Formats: sequence, structure tokens, C-alpha cells
Amino acid sequence: MLQVEDLHAGYGASEVLTGTTLTVKQGTLVALIGANGAGKTTTMRAISGGLKPSRGKVILDGQEVQGLDASRIARLGLAHAPEGRKVFGPLSVEDNLLLGAYSRLPRFFGYHAQAKADLDRVYDLFPRLRDRTRQSAGTLSGGEQQMLAIGRALMARPKVMLLDEPSMGLAPVIVQEVFRTIRRLKEEGITLLLVEQFAKSALEVADYAYVMEHGRIAVEGTPAELGRNERVLAAYLG
Amino acid sequence: MNAQIIGQMAVSGALMGLVYALIAYGFQLTFATSKSINFGQGELVMISAFFSLTLTNLGLPYWAMVPGGLLFGAIMGLVVERAGVRLALEQKSEGWILLSIIIGLFFFSAAENIWGRDDRPFPTPISADPIHILGVDVTRLELSVAVGVFAIMGLIELFKRRTLLGKAFEAVSADRDAAELMGISSTRTVMLSYGLSGSVAALAGILVSPITTVGPTMASALILKAFSVAVVAGLDSGFGVVLVGMFLGALESLASFYLGSGWREAPGLILLILALALRPNGVFGKATIRKV
Repeated sequence: MLQVEDLHAGYGASEVLTGTTLTVKQGTLVALIGANGAGKTTTMRAISGGLKPSRGKVILDGQEVQGLDASRIARLGLAHAPEGRKVFGPLSVEDNLLLGAYSRLPRFFGYHAQAKADLDRVYDLFPRLRDRTRQSAGTLSGGEQQMLAIGRALMARPKVMLLDEPSMGLAPVIVQEVFRTIRRLKEEGITLLLVEQFAKSALEVADYAYVMEHGRIAVEGTPAELGRNERVLAAYLG
Repeated sequence: MNAQIIGQMAVSGALMGLVYALIAYGFQLTFATSKSINFGQGELVMISAFFSLTLTNLGLPYWAMVPGGLLFGAIMGLVVERAGVRLALEQKSEGWILLSIIIGLFFFSAAENIWGRDDRPFPTPISADPIHILGVDVTRLELSVAVGVFAIMGLIELFKRRTLLGKAFEAVSADRDAAELMGISSTRTVMLSYGLSGSVAALAGILVSPITTVGPTMASALILKAFSVAVVAGLDSGFGVVLVGMFLGALESLASFYLGSGWREAPGLILLILALALRPNGVFGKATIRKV
């Protein structure tokens, strides 16, 4: 569903990604782990178009999308819940969710009725958001904002969802909740690429994983295989 | 010095101050989406007023001329965005400041060449006879300014809150990159904001022209006051510009009555200096911290 081939990207003259290659098959959860500064978030941004790759290919559902505007790639079926959540603070929770489905809703009126089923689905998944539909997103707790960011990405009914550091800055109890949610998304058959610092938790839910070092994939394999790799064990799962 | 004269002066001044508020609101629209403003906005006011005058002279009735003028303003706003702002923003440069001034100068010369340098009256069906309300005399013409200003600001605010496109506008204002991830094109949203801002400028021209006449330099004083209002109120509060605009308008009219007409421009400039020294984010603006 998503293929990344020999991706190069960076900021100004400094190249962060030096040839990243990875594949996310339909209906699977793929984890991308690695140390800080290895290029995980840069990979995500280069896939979703926030950063233009200087070389390489990003293929979404058979179509090359590298170099397109982020909004274009989103309309083609990629949802990216970014690092740091990036909810629209001044807007209400419900408006944030509605904007998640922006590309397939009418622009002026009747959008709410058309999004009703999707809203209900998100509220069933995150009952705490249902109690706060009118509250502005900026006043939510970190955990709630993360739920909102994931819900907003779900609203797009994406072909592939990118989840960047969903546990960042959250209390351990909330982190567990986030991982329960990720497991549910997986059960629903959503194709996911997950970036995580908590490598252990990520490998528990993933079907396949890539380990990034210095802007490229150093090791890849199923979680079981990585669990037997001494280098990975020592560096990330210790 | 009696209360009735003060009241009279304050009310007339405040109604004129709404024109400053409207132009300042036009600055806010583009600042929200792109952190840029059109420094040639005054010329946009002027050239739209001239265009509307031409429509009137061609025999178009007032109520048909108004939408024509607004459409022209929107198109000119888009011209400014395309020619002066987009490239600069794409390169993350501040070049839009100079480019928008240059486009304004271009509009100014174009207007002088097409319509001449003379000030001309702007015909309107709205009567200038005073009516008596609560002890002060106001003309229907002055009231039409208030109605026009509140109508367009109300419509735009309603658009932002009630339609999905409007919510997308707000989303781009809040976080451009995140909005792109939702499939919202920030380029188009910036275009929309410049189009709306152009319409707002055109309406300001249409509303003020019957009172002040139309001429190439008609907006040079207006624009200075609108800047003062935008800076004093802050660039993110529509409610703030209305209050500050009316306050400044009233203050000006009192200053010119009691101190002499030479002092008319003083309050705006004093407010501007005070605001820059004491509250650079504006009285109603949110304190923003620029992250490096």
C-alpha cells in the first residue's frame, strides 16, 4: 500500500535521510524505531509531503506522490497524525474532527450530516472526546489531544495512516491507553506506519519493523526476528 | 463646551472610524492565513472606488454597482497575492512588503492615467439629510457606513464559523502545516483571504466615497489611520478593530473641533506610538512568543 524507495531528504544543505527504503503492506502495522535524530520523523514528513524529498520515490496505492503538496497527498488517502499532535488549538474538538474529513465533505453546508457516521465512530473509540465536542482543542490534556489527533486522522478514512510518536510526553497510564487504541486500529484493518521511541511497546503491536540509524534502515524484520538480533536488543530493547 | 456638541462630534467621528476599522479588518484577514499584509491596501480602496464610480457613470443602479465593486476588489486582491505575495512567501522572504508597496504605486499611477488627478463626487441614492436620534444628528449616509461595515464583517465571521471552508480558513490560520495534512491547500486559503480582503477594501471605498469624494489620494490618510487601528487593536481581533476604530474616529473629530483641524491626524499617530511602546501585540491581541 505504501512503498518508500531510496528516499533522500534534509533541511537545507544537511541531508538527514540518506536512502531510506521501506514497505507497508495493506492491513499491517509497521513500526519504525531508532534513536533520537536517526531520521524517523523526517521520514514521516518526507512521505506526507511536509518536506520535499531530494531523491527517491514514495508510492501510495500504486501512485508516485513524492514532490506533491502535502494537501494533495492527503487527498490521495494518506493521513498523518504528526509529532507533537498539532491539533487546531482555537477550534473546537468537533471542528478538528470535521476538518480531518475535509477532502470528502461539502465545503459550505450539510457537512455535519454527512460526517455523522464517522464522528460517531471516533466518539465510540474515544468516549472522552464526546464529552468535549464544543471545547476548544487547545484546552485538552496531552492525552486527549493525542486521541483527537488520531481521531482526526481516522476521519479521513485513509488508505494509510502515519502515527508519529503518539506516546510523546504522556504519563505512563495514558501511554498504555494509546497503545490499546493502536491495537484496536490494527484490528479494524487500518494500514499503519508507527514511529515510536518506546521500541518495546511498538514491537509488541507491530507486524513488521524497521530500525533506523543515521538516516537509513539498519535492520528490518518481524518483531520476533528483531528480538533475536543482539545489536537491536542491546541498543533499543535493553 | 456642552455635552450635546461633544456627543455629536463623538458619534459622527465614531461612524467614520468604522471605515478605519473595516480597512484594518482587511489586514487581519490576510495576516491570519499568511502572516502578510498588503501595504498597498489604500490604493486598492481607491482604485475600487474609481471602478465603482465608473460603473455608476455607465448607468448601473447603486445596488448593482456594489457587488460589481466588491468583485473588482476581490480580483485586485488576488492580483496582489499572485504578483506580490506568493513568490515571497514560498521563499520564506519578507519581499511581500516591498512588492505590495510597488503594486500599490502601480495602481496609483494607473488610476491617475485612467481617471485623472481630480477629486470627484460619488453619487449615491442614500440621503445626506440629518435625522435626529437620541439628541444627536446623524445622516443616513453616515449610518450606511455602519450598516455596511457590520454587514460584511458579520458575514465573513459567520462564514468562518459556520461553513467547512471557513473552518479550514481558521485551521490554516492556527497551523498551516497541520492544515495541509488534512488536505487543505494553504495556497488556496491564502488566495481566499486576499480575495476577501480586496472585497473588504472595495466596500470601504464605496462607503466612504460619497462622504469624502473620490480621488487618487483619497486613501492615503485613511490607510495611515487603519494601520494605527490594526496595530493598537492587534492583528487578530475583529472585535478589537471595531472598538479602536470608533474610539479613534471620535477622538479625531473632537481633536479637530477643540484644537483646530490641523490636529486631526494627531490622535491616530499618538495612539500608534503608545501602542508600539506599551502593547506591541495590541490591546486586544494575544501575546505571541516568536519561537526560534
